[in-house]
Amino acid sequence: MRYQRPGLDLASHLLLAVGCGLFFLPVWLAFTASTHSMSDLYANVAPLWVGDAGLSNYARLIHDPVSGLGTDVLRLLANSMVMALGIAVGKIAISLLAAYAIVFFRFPLRRLCFWLIFITLMLPVEVRILPTYEVVADLHLLDSYPGLILPLIASATATFLLRQFYLTIPPELVEAARIDGAGPWRFLRDILLPLSKTNIAALFVIMFIYGWNQYLWPLLITTNADYLTVVVSLKRLLTTGDALVPWQDVTATAMLAMGPPVLVILLMQRYFVKGLVETEK
Amino acid sequence: MATLQLSALQKRYANGFVALHGVDLAVEDGELIVIVGPSGCGKSTLLRTLAGLESITSGELTINGRRVNELEPAERDIAMVFQNYALYPHMSVFDNMAYGLKNRGVPKDDIRRRVNATAELLDLGALLDRRPRQLSGGQRQRVAMGRAIVREPQVFLFDEPLSNLDAKLRVQMRLEIRRLQKRLKVTSVYVTHDQTEAMTLADRLVVMNAGRVEQCGTPMALYERPATRFVAGFIGSPAMNFLPVTVHGERLRLPDGGELTLAAGLEAGSALTLGVRPEHLVALDEGDATPEGGAVIQATVEMIEPLGADTLAYARMEGLDELLVVRLHGEHAAGEGSVLRLWLSPERSHLFGDDDRRIEAHRATPVTGSRG
Ligand SMILES: Nc1ncnc2c1ncn2[C@@H]1O[C@H](COP(=O)(O)OP(=O)(O)OP(=O)(O)O)[C@@H](O)[C@H]1O
Ligand SMILES: [Mg+2]
Repeated sequence: MRYQRPGLDLASHLLLAVGCGLFFLPVWLAFTASTHSMSDLYANVAPLWVGDAGLSNYARLIHDPVSGLGTDVLRLLANSMVMALGIAVGKIAISLLAAYAIVFFRFPLRRLCFWLIFITLMLPVEVRILPTYEVVADLHLLDSYPGLILPLIASATATFLLRQFYLTIPPELVEAARIDGAGPWRFLRDILLPLSKTNIAALFVIMFIYGWNQYLWPLLITTNADYLTVVVSLKRLLTTGDALVPWQDVTATAMLAMGPPVLVILLMQRYFVKGLVETEK
Repeated sequence: MATLQLSALQKRYANGFVALHGVDLAVEDGELIVIVGPSGCGKSTLLRTLAGLESITSGELTINGRRVNELEPAERDIAMVFQNYALYPHMSVFDNMAYGLKNRGVPKDDIRRRVNATAELLDLGALLDRRPRQLSGGQRQRVAMGRAIVREPQVFLFDEPLSNLDAKLRVQMRLEIRRLQKRLKVTSVYVTHDQTEAMTLADRLVVMNAGRVEQCGTPMALYERPATRFVAGFIGSPAMNFLPVTVHGERLRLPDGGELTLAAGLEAGSALTLGVRPEHLVALDEGDATPEGGAVIQATVEMIEPLGADTLAYARMEGLDELLVVRLHGEHAAGEGSVLRLWLSPERSHLFGDDDRRIEAHRATPVTGSRG
């Protein structure tokens, strides 16, 4: 619904601006802090405007190993990227196939399988962290990418959402494909995947951010700086013992850590908004 | 190109419900068979077992003499047109038609040529790049037909393909289907619940009821000699009037006490049903002489439905619970409350036993083909 009243328009825009400002303020403060030198930061209250140490701060973080971490931020970002991509792609691949099996195939204990998957919704990593650690340690996967990715790769949420979507596909479509000679794999590739494009794009964004933001699990299983992720490193930068906290490093790393998720959202948003506008079904 | 043979075909669904109780049917090469019947009688089930979308519980299905019970739909060389078209929403019209050919490994050039030829045939040439959602209902319907035709299958199966179209388009597509089927000479089975569609399209008509074939024959044969009371009531619109009658010697006693002479051979006292179509009740004018044979019924008109060329009169006959439906000429002056004198001709009436089967014995002269 659209109201054509100028006063209302103005008020809502004002409200919108205030809201945006409130959300943007911390990000802005972090950004300005990341552009000052350490001595600057400790001499003054939180700066509201950019300083002159920005370039050197960022260049240092990217090129040199950060003190207290033992690796540079680029490496941290790469690690996080591998983990987040692995989790997002893995989750989607697995739940796509799981939902496909549950919706389109008749096999014994089909319902049971579905409910088993569904119940795991109530078992996030934090709940099962000790046994999972035990398993991963026994498999010698501590300090490795598979160790970071595999325990997080199954997703009841994605399976459930894709199942709900598959259920809306008219059975005649499946039958028409059968008559057209499309076997199960062909049907998946030629019909189901193209039709779930927008759902997959949306899930990818959610799952990527979920993977990127993982904290507890990577913290637990990585001791080697080569596998440290950027989100975990933030906390580690803060624990300096008696020394002063290098706020310019912390905030600059935080700014860099925000980059990839924002990028993914911007890239994917185009894709799924387009899909939502021109509905395919 | 293909003959189709169904022998004692039975279908029991997983939940134990028997939807087909042994269907026998032989479809000739190039014939268009129309299956009609009330909702839930198993029409779609029958079609889907032919397509291979449902398994056959028992009995045999052969195409060109080859048993196909165990074959996958794609291996049966059939094409099906669905009621909701079931076009692939993300593919262009061209790809929709080409998909089945691609899966069969037909060379690209052949696919292009065949799809273009089919598009030409169906007047779809300008739409080949469109997505289904950019098409009107009638165009979608034609694409669905095209997808079936382009495959050059042995058998076409149609499940109520026109029921999502408006009345005018339906008539147009009906003619088009008829024209295409005659031209391509592909053996076809067509399911519908629309009487007109059934009568006009069918080479032969199959009337189904509760998972059984009630009768199979040309549309006119079914109209003129319905084998059961069910077929009599189902074919023809408005439906046939049924009067309970009892046998008294040589005669049948009508509900209002009137009598009708019929050939002998009926068991005295037995309760039968006499059927007469609305168009076969002849309204006699004042002073008309009563024709030889038959009986005259008096009925009071309770309601009139003018249809233009005809007028339907719903009239109350003594001793009958339902209203008698009579088809009168459009100019007939009958008003509500007027009394009609209706002549019931023995040649034009049908007799059914208490098992609802047709009793043929009484008929003195065979009926001729024209409508009354
Ligand atoms: N999968 C199923 N499992 C159990 N019973 C079914 C199944 N599909 C259909 N039936 C039953 O089989 C009977 C025949 O169904 P069918 O769909 O063949 O009817 P129809 O003649 O096509 O009806 P309509 O004109 O409404 O399409 C119905 O009583 C229906 O309830
Ligand atoms: Mg049906």
